Amino acid sequence: MSNWEILWLERDQFIAGFISTLEIFGLSISAAFVIGCGMLYILEGARPRLEVPLRIFVDSMRMLPFLILVYLLYYGLPSFGIRLNAWWAGVGALAVYHGCYFAEIFRGVRQTFPPGQVEAARAYGFNTGKMFLRLILPQIIMRSRPLIGNQLIYALKDTAFLVIITVRELTAAANSLSGTYFIPTEAFIVVIGCYWLVSMIMEIIIKQCGRFSAKRGFDNV
Amino acid sequence: MNASAWSMLLEGAWVTLWISGVSIAIGVVAGLLLALVRLARIPIIDQILVLYISLARATPLVTLTLFIFLSAPNFGIQLDRNLAGILALTINTTAFNAEIWRSAFGNFSREQREAAMSMGMTPWVTFRRIMFPQLMITSLPGLVNEMSFLIKGSPAIAVIGIVDLTRVTNRISAVTYEPLPPILVACALYMAIIGCLVWLQRIAEHRANRLAE
Amino acid sequence: MSETTAVSIRNLSKSFDGVEVLRDVDLVVKKGDVVTILGSSGSGKSTLLRCVNWLEQPDRGTITIAGQRIGVNDAGKPMSMRELAKVRARTGMVFQSFNLWPHLNVLHNVTEAPIHVLGKARSEAEAHAHELLEKVGMSHKTAAYPNTLSGGQKQRVAIARALAMRPEVMLFDEPTSALDPELVGEVLAVIKALSAEGYTMVIVTHEMTFARAVSDQVVFLDKGRIIESADPETFFTRPSTERVQKFLERNEG
Repeated sequence: MSNWEILWLERDQFIAGFISTLEIFGLSISAAFVIGCGMLYILEGARPRLEVPLRIFVDSMRMLPFLILVYLLYYGLPSFGIRLNAWWAGVGALAVYHGCYFAEIFRGVRQTFPPGQVEAARAYGFNTGKMFLRLILPQIIMRSRPLIGNQLIYALKDTAFLVIITVRELTAAANSLSGTYFIPTEAFIVVIGCYWLVSMIMEIIIKQCGRFSAKRGFDNV
Repeated sequence: MNASAWSMLLEGAWVTLWISGVSIAIGVVAGLLLALVRLARIPIIDQILVLYISLARATPLVTLTLFIFLSAPNFGIQLDRNLAGILALTINTTAFNAEIWRSAFGNFSREQREAAMSMGMTPWVTFRRIMFPQLMITSLPGLVNEMSFLIKGSPAIAVIGIVDLTRVTNRISAVTYEPLPPILVACALYMAIIGCLVWLQRIAEHRANRLAE
Repeated sequence: MSETTAVSIRNLSKSFDGVEVLRDVDLVVKKGDVVTILGSSGSGKSTLLRCVNWLEQPDRGTITIAGQRIGVNDAGKPMSMRELAKVRARTGMVFQSFNLWPHLNVLHNVTEAPIHVLGKARSEAEAHAHELLEKVGMSHKTAAYPNTLSGGQKQRVAIARALAMRPEVMLFDEPTSALDPELVGEVLAVIKALSAEGYTMVIVTHEMTFARAVSDQVVFLDKGRIIESADPETFFTRPSTERVQKFLERNEG
């Protein structure tokens, strides 16, 4: 029996790992997106007293490796009596970490806006929250598209770190199979192919969104 | 935390630094060479490099590290852990650096090259004296940014048992049963290392902007 | 080929994407002469000048610089980059957009090619550079970087840089077109001073008064052909073609 045949017989393990990775990725990146938007709202001046601490928090996160944050949640939090299982610690770390990156991306794009727009909206009597949701956020998201695409790929890659805290995801599947049958080369080629495929699909989707946004005229405000 | 915990943490930081440092040094030069090869647009080799860059950008470092370390024996190569870690980090960072160099080449001013040619400079002298010094300055912010990313990705080498700054916290807490303090110190050390790089990047950006004026 | 010929252009033709920009151009520049090339935009003036040092490759025709053919070597084959560089070193080119090297200060912009192309010693190259920067009135700015200079200052440094190669001929490609009007004068004054010193120069320009004052010969290019070539007096007072008459009327004053 060839190594590839062994892989085929064990395909359920791969599929389970792949689905697990996609679940972790989908859930955490959605949460990260919401967190990023929320942070942007605060950084826009909605809660002045939180602004400076939040800035410090975002900048600190950007200076830390993702895995050390996972350690902090998984091994560190129990010191405060909060015990997360590996899966939730992983999802939580991904959401917070990439939420900070999203906030930073949004803030960068926001700074390129002409200030007149906000004043105009104020003059029409929009309040801060409404203005943010209806006016600022959609534009920022459409314009930060390429950077969001990049960040999605980083987030997908970061899910693999969770194998270190024993989350059963895609890389863990390859690792355990190669341990059982001594077929590391084939197992990892399949897994790397999976990551590559998802990255490619995300890139294509982001590009398609680009066309849509160009039609709506978001790019040349 | 006692003295031995502190010295273990510093040793972990040293492992992270030297392995990352070697990978960065090789990756910057290899990225430059790949960018030059890509500029030559040699058929087949160019497609292979495009595929390599695309794959390297999409492959998680943890996965790549495991792949290299576990499958090397299949090809009759006995890889030392550190070497496997360096190899994984280098393969990853080279792909990103190649793109940084390539875009700097692509944006280099045709007028300046013409000025050099009109002064009788050969392509090699033009590259060495006119293009390269400027490409160093314009690429540096991107390269330093990529160095930060490499340090942030470096804990991936812990997966094959290298005791770096992240993994050493496990070792310490296995003795002290207090995981939080070593992790917090590791966080501080990472922030110091990456903070230095961010500061360097600012200086590099400042210089690059001045050149572009 | 006479000893006194600096540049000789024969039957030069050049097309871009099927559009002929130069057609059978013949031009001889004698040593010590100043030739200005006039013509409306798109007439092929710049292309002609850029062909002289092979920044553009002509489709047909020959160009000879001080007896040395450019682009084709003695064996009749296209020149290698190295051979080409050698001939190019004998021309000095001044560009519309200056094209100074931003990573080098004024002095090193001037000494770079003498040191790394001609193999001059640094001390010798710097002494020569100081002399030339004095000549163009930039000796007070030797340590400055290009991005701190005005357009007129940049162009004067660019002239010194080209002179540093002791070229057989200086080529000026619209040297004042990118300058603010108040800075044009200082650059033209430098070029005028050079002509008085006997430098051989070919100048593409739109400055009529300057052309009349500085030239030994004026050439008019129209749709890639030389349709008029005369001394400045004849050219500006009794042009033989209607095309040039109209051009001069439009550009009067």
